[in-house]
Amino acid sequence: MIRAAIAECVRALAQSVYAQNQDLPADSRPDDWEDIERTRGGDPEAYRRLIERHQDYVARLLWRFSRDRRVHEELVQDVFVEAYLSLRGYNGRAPLAHWLARIATRVGYRYWKEKARRREVEPFDVEKWDAAVSDGHAAAALEPDDAGALLHQILAQMSPRDRLVLTLRYLEQCDVIETARRTGWTKTMVKVQTMRARNRLRKLIEQGGTELVL
Amino acid sequence: MNWEEKVERLAARAQAEQTPHVDVTQSVLHLLTAGPAQPLTVAERFWMWLAAAASAVAVPAGTVALILYTRSAGPLNEIVEAISWAVQ
Repeated sequence: MIRAAIAECVRALAQSVYAQNQDLPADSRPDDWEDIERTRGGDPEAYRRLIERHQDYVARLLWRFSRDRRVHEELVQDVFVEAYLSLRGYNGRAPLAHWLARIATRVGYRYWKEKARRREVEPFDVEKWDAAVSDGHAAAALEPDDAGALLHQILAQMSPRDRLVLTLRYLEQCDVIETARRTGWTKTMVKVQTMRARNRLRKLIEQGGTELVL
Repeated sequence: MNWEEKVERLAARAQAEQTPHVDVTQSVLHLLTAGPAQPLTVAERFWMWLAAAASAVAVPAGTVALILYTRSAGPLNEIVEAISWAVQ
């Protein structure tokens, strides 16, 4: 009884310290833990609340992995199914949103690897890319959706591993530690992989004749 | 401005992108309730542990029984052979 109370206090303290030190998504909520416990006890309503609370955040993360709405929705669904099945492994030391981000990254990366195995290549029109970013009004007029789509298209030309590290680096603006946390790689591996992927992206842009004018 | 700064600017602009709204609540709950992979109930967990404990006891017990049988098979055969005339 006393041990459980102490564990609860430590968990709450760890979460508050963690929340102060990290740029937490708005979806991280202190009442998650109660719903997690209820879900573990077999209460589906508690899991419904968890999904409702976090699905927008997970959807935002997975939009970087697929811009096909049907696939995107399936990936979000997969994340919550996977999270439910491994919920017993969640120890509460980090906010639930961060744990879900790791699962989302894993699910998205797996999707890319499956696509690469099937040799599905997303179309990338270099001329369209050049036209979109090279003309005069590009800097001011490019809509966020178009900017996201353009980056998605060019990163889709890379291997899943390169694409993952660059997506986290550029689009999710993750630092080395956060990238390591999400991918499960070591920090050294993240640094090496980032350097290699950046070199390959530079070559891709330069060889593709892409002149970004922003 | 080099290529990476341009890509970073593009990425910064993409930060303001609106993600399509999804609602997977029903589909996830449906999958979890319809699918086989649900958390075990207390009764199921009890039977699972009971089965595991029974297996844990049965395997060494079977091994011991096999060893004892092998050891005793020799003398037993001698006794059987000694009284085999009575059977005939």
